[in-house]
Amino acid sequence: MKFIIQRDQLMDSVQDVMKAISSRTTIPILTGIKLEAHADGVKLTGSDSDISIESFIPKEEEGIVYIEQIEPGSIVIQAKYFPDIVRKLPQNTVEIEADEHLKVTIRSGNSEFHLNGQDADEYPQLPKLHTEDSFELPTDLLKNLIKQTVFAVSTVETRPILTGVNMKVANKELDFVATDSHRLASRKIPLTEETENIAFSSVVIPGKSLIELNKILEDTQENVEISVTENQILFRTKNLYFLSRLLDGNYPETSRLIPDQSKTIVYGNTKELLQSIDRASLLAKENRNNVVRFQTKTDNQLEISSNSPEVGNVVEEVTAKSIDGEELKISFSAKYMMDALKAIESDQVKIEFTGAMRPFIIRPIDNDQVLQLILPVRTY
Amino acid sequence: MAYRIIFHVDMNSFYASVEAAYNPNLKGKPIAIAGNPEERKGIIVTSSYEARAKGVKTTMPLWEARKLCPDLIVMRPNFNRYRIASKEMFKILSEVTPYVQPVSIDEGYMDITDCEQKGSPIAIAQALQQKIATQLDLPCSIGIAPNKFLAKMASDMKKPMGITVLRKRDLPVKLWPLPIEEMYGIGKKTAEKLNQIEIFTIKDLAHADPPTLKRLLGINGERLQNRANGIDPSPVDPEAVHDFKSIGSSETLPQDTTDENEIRKLFRHLARNVARRLKRKQAVGRNIQIMIRFHNRKTITRSMKLPEFIEDEEEIFGAGYALFEQHWNGDPVRLLGITIQDIAEKKEIAQQLDLFTYEVDASKEKLYKAIDQLTDKFGKNPFIKLNNPIDDDEPRTSFQKDFLDDYRD
Repeated sequence: MKFIIQRDQLMDSVQDVMKAISSRTTIPILTGIKLEAHADGVKLTGSDSDISIESFIPKEEEGIVYIEQIEPGSIVIQAKYFPDIVRKLPQNTVEIEADEHLKVTIRSGNSEFHLNGQDADEYPQLPKLHTEDSFELPTDLLKNLIKQTVFAVSTVETRPILTGVNMKVANKELDFVATDSHRLASRKIPLTEETENIAFSSVVIPGKSLIELNKILEDTQENVEISVTENQILFRTKNLYFLSRLLDGNYPETSRLIPDQSKTIVYGNTKELLQSIDRASLLAKENRNNVVRFQTKTDNQLEISSNSPEVGNVVEEVTAKSIDGEELKISFSAKYMMDALKAIESDQVKIEFTGAMRPFIIRPIDNDQVLQLILPVRTY
Repeated sequence: MAYRIIFHVDMNSFYASVEAAYNPNLKGKPIAIAGNPEERKGIIVTSSYEARAKGVKTTMPLWEARKLCPDLIVMRPNFNRYRIASKEMFKILSEVTPYVQPVSIDEGYMDITDCEQKGSPIAIAQALQQKIATQLDLPCSIGIAPNKFLAKMASDMKKPMGITVLRKRDLPVKLWPLPIEEMYGIGKKTAEKLNQIEIFTIKDLAHADPPTLKRLLGINGERLQNRANGIDPSPVDPEAVHDFKSIGSSETLPQDTTDENEIRKLFRHLARNVARRLKRKQAVGRNIQIMIRFHNRKTITRSMKLPEFIEDEEEIFGAGYALFEQHWNGDPVRLLGITIQDIAEKKEIAQQLDLFTYEVDASKEKLYKAIDQLTDKFGKNPFIKLNNPIDDDEPRTSFQKDFLDDYRD
């Protein structure tokens, strides 16, 4: 195997597939990156058996040549060293060669590395998905769906199913839902003609997979093809193949837990609220749960405060656009509120409360597709 | 409730027995553990059976005990030893069943209803008693009964190293003849009250007129009467030890005093103790109670509801001393105590509600709201739980229950 490749292209692909590689894998060869040279380009593969990523670098694209002098073949290179080597090579082109004794030579300018490789035949075959059940979404929209929900997945394994994002189809809508049982994030999009014949109804994608996927996907309007089988999901773009296992088990039915009526509604400026809560939480960081208190006052004033007996306290007034309904005094985690306000992606928010001990809902003022729900903290 | 088999395991003169286990030379000799053998405030915390035979009693001043028993060996308490022994003892109990409820350093309940395969209750009790005797060199008495109250009464009937079975049908013979003040749960004050309505024995209580009892003792009267009739549905709750309701510390002054500096110093010291224990429990409290015992042993307790949960020494001292100044009549003081009540664990104070369970908490929202409104109106929580007034005159030792879960580590 041999080829000469543009270093930047190689670096991007290496970084992508590295997202799947874990040093703590039980299959030793998975600590390596598989390189495959074909006549039309080079493919890199990384996997930890939960996530597998293939990144393809075409020989040439839009008239720009990325790879020259390709001699087909394949090799597995230690992922511990390869990325740093590529990053620090002196020239913009890199020559990579592997011989029949699995010795890898990497040349760039006057620099030459020799590495011991492993036989690519020993690298596990990635499962090929056999499904008709696929649909397409614009990449930037998918990234949004992920960003607005994945932060709310549970990070503890007590209920493993909650470490994933529930992707479901209902009422001609695609809905991403994540909850760690203290807050819930949901984003819906209407199904288009192309997407409305999706056959799956509900799957749970590990949060970790989506976080990595989001890092790799570029912010473009090009489509991602999404294919779902019983236990795996595949995201495919032109040069990327991202395969993740799905979580086993039934995702709890969350829609009935979302209050459908409210007693107090606050309209406000997202950024002002966010900054105010951020300030109040400065002192709350030390205290038990990073709790801030939120209170409605007259004349559309909101009081946001926090008290840490050992440190001090902070009180801040924020002017809301309007406050309708009953008076309210509620306490909640500043972190959850900030996460939610950041995920709203709208200048103005509407916050609906149903009482100090019930979940409240944050939505963009003009958009029902995004919903953030937070459970308050009960204080004395 | 289905038929249960409950043990009450009571270590016999625990501190003195532990000392004798550490130093076998002490065996068979009159030993007393006293707060401070040198100073006057030394009172007997516990004593061996040999000392008791000479008339030495718990809470007796040291000089009096020495007079009764001139060869009395007086020792300072080695709390650490007792703690270790206690932990080992509960470990042995928990080998029989996980349903062990420690109630103090030297006694606990066990529910052995489901231990049939380990033998008859008496065989289990004998094996347990033997094991504690051989492994720890400590004596204990075990009461076997269908509920906690009867088990507790039973363990008291034969000491040391007794095993007593108390069945319901034994009540008329074994329980009812006992004087009312020997009934578990009845202190001096309650006994006096009961005496006024001609109740002198447990039998009298068992057959008393329920409305009269209720007028006299409230809801507790009903419970006590049930117990006198052998009814006690309370379960053996291994977690009960966590349900601590108060944390306190009290201490006798070296001399009766009116010196405010002395008093402040002791309050400071007590506040530090309480703050340390609160911290250890990760708890805070918002009710403070002080106890003042005067030179003539007259004792008063005064408490105050606080606007905020408190936890540190400064806050406890401040609130406690303010309360003292308010209620001190200037008479010489012999003993002082501070107790923080209405205790909550810190994590409960800011309890993050859960999406899947919030309905349970939210269902009480109206109640909390009502309490809030009444608090606004009346200035303090009108639903605050009444604390049982301290019935006996016994100063509490520095033992708290806050380590009784150690044995599970």
